[in-house]
Amino acid sequence: MSERITIKQVPLEELVITPGSACQGCGAALAARLAFKALGPNTIRHSIPACPDNVTRTPTSGGEFEAGGDHVTGTWRALKALGREDVQVVGFYGDGGVYDIGFQSISGAAIRNENVFIICKNNEAYMNTGGQVSGATPQFAMTTTTPVGPMSRGKPHSRKNTPMIFAMHGVPYVATASVAFPTDLIAKVQYGKGIRGFKFLDILSPCPTGWRFDPSKTIEVARLAVQTGFWPLYEIIDGRKFRLNYKPRELKPVAEYLKLQGRFRHLSEQEIEEIQRSVTEYWERLLKLDEIGEILI
Amino acid sequence: MIEVRLHGRGGQGAVTANEILAEAAYYEGKYAQAIPMYGTERRGAPVTAYLRLDEVRVRERDLVHEPDIVVVLDPAIAQRPAILEGLKEGGLVIANYPHPPELYPLGGNFMVSTVDATAIALETLKRPITNTAILGAFSKVTGLVKVESIEKAILHRFPGPLGEMNVNAVRRAYERTPMPIQARGEVRKDEEGPLSGSGYGLIRSAAGWRTFRPVWDLDKCTGCRICWIFCPDNAIGWAEEKPTVDYRKCKGCGICVNECPTKAIEFKREGI
Ligand SMILES: Cc1ncc(C[n+]2csc(CCOP(=O)(O)OP(=O)(O)O)c2C)c(N)n1
Ligand code: SF4
Ligand code: SF4
Ligand code: SF4
Repeated sequence: MSERITIKQVPLEELVITPGSACQGCGAALAARLAFKALGPNTIRHSIPACPDNVTRTPTSGGEFEAGGDHVTGTWRALKALGREDVQVVGFYGDGGVYDIGFQSISGAAIRNENVFIICKNNEAYMNTGGQVSGATPQFAMTTTTPVGPMSRGKPHSRKNTPMIFAMHGVPYVATASVAFPTDLIAKVQYGKGIRGFKFLDILSPCPTGWRFDPSKTIEVARLAVQTGFWPLYEIIDGRKFRLNYKPRELKPVAEYLKLQGRFRHLSEQEIEEIQRSVTEYWERLLKLDEIGEILI
Repeated sequence: MIEVRLHGRGGQGAVTANEILAEAAYYEGKYAQAIPMYGTERRGAPVTAYLRLDEVRVRERDLVHEPDIVVVLDPAIAQRPAILEGLKEGGLVIANYPHPPELYPLGGNFMVSTVDATAIALETLKRPITNTAILGAFSKVTGLVKVESIEKAILHRFPGPLGEMNVNAVRRAYERTPMPIQARGEVRKDEEGPLSGSGYGLIRSAAGWRTFRPVWDLDKCTGCRICWIFCPDNAIGWAEEKPTVDYRKCKGCGICVNECPTKAIEFKREGI
């Protein structure tokens, strides 16, 4: 499992080149800055269509939306043939590209246990095209395709549990992270980087534009997601060994997180309670896994 | 036919302002056409929108290339000569600018009026969203659309307290906007090139994106590195155990200000 680091151990070297064209306060831009700090320069980055986040000082290639998994596979196999197995092969993709459109190809790479690192900059919708609903969008969130009106209360379904789905592929490493917990995020990237095989890191990256909050609050929102249990931080080895990385004595009420964001402005007390119930229930299940230290299936 | 071009930044509501103007004109029996510039509009990045107003049906379907009026929602963009591109001789500029039109920095054969729409937005909406305030200025200076029609369109779009706050912004701007004068500023070329806000990759500078600028009081700084680690745009450097800032990279998001545990960073309005 990853080893805790302090802020002073975070590498000073920056792998991103700025100013780039992401919005003010973009969580995904910060996710890129932090993740590539940990990956270092000996990395090939793959992109698929998504928001611009941050340009990195790495060789970078762009590919088909549907083919995120194939794209990194090809690069890894070529490096292997060239005897350059020291190079990290990274797919830095949006949640649309990981949870939905590119899922089949990334699932294929996971099953084959390709030596690649898939990092999802998860802003919980298709933001580059204006904020359409994705498999990562939480229930009740307003997006441009799940509006709020007399016939609709935002997204009707709950989000897809993609980190657990990848864990169930039995791959060497799966973890979640948040831009508000940068040392945890960096430690996880550093740990994943040292493992041979398929790695998946899902980084919650708040989007002030699509989630509708002031750009100064990106970290506040990302932090509350974790402190309320809405976005738990955990890691899973070989689809079995399990650890929660952030375990407060008591979770904050989920309303504190929801109330900061315009995409949840319409929620009734009853809907907030419904969300609270499902968050608490899931959190208790994770606590049990953490206690046993294993996923027993 | 009157053709208008609006310039703003993603998040200031230029596209909405444009649509509200079109709706207000429609209430007065006019024909109107509101066109947003297609592109991925990033919050903070320059945004353009176009409007046509006429007594008869508007047949054109093109973007506006030679506007009669240019409306600028952002004080930093208001100082960029690129906003004058294609403006008709003797045309009109209505700018969100914190000083009277006599001090407006651009010159040429055009009329100009200014209003501190950012200050009005901060007073009324508590946020620097300047789109509705500038409409009050538009009504006052052009007389093309009555202020009552603008208010009606705003309340239709934002019913309730939000609408009332915006109506307040419109009224204050209407009262405070002076009549236009002949532009007295400098005639010069835009060194930064055209105003383009969409796209990928690197930009020349993010300086113009800011409404506020973070300013450090290093005496209060404990060297905790929190501002440094959370800056999405890598604008904060680290040297001799203290933060440094590169204002060419800073977009003015305010994360550093919000996160500093000792309140060593202050947010100051740009351009005044
Ligand atoms: C096959 C295909 N379909 C649609 C698009 C248009 N498109 C470009 S970016 C994008 C949204 C990407 O969303 P996501 O993966 O969540 O990343 P984000 O923009 O949120 O960073 C879409 C739909 C495309 N480029 N290719
Ligand atoms: S829309 Fe959201 S994710 Fe995309 S650049 Fe803007 S803040 Fe970042
Ligand atoms: S967050 Fe505040 S105290 Fe910490 S390094 Fe930055 S300015 Fe100094
Ligand atoms: S306001 Fe602060 S955090 Fe935001 S870009 Fe500027 S320096 Fe970075």
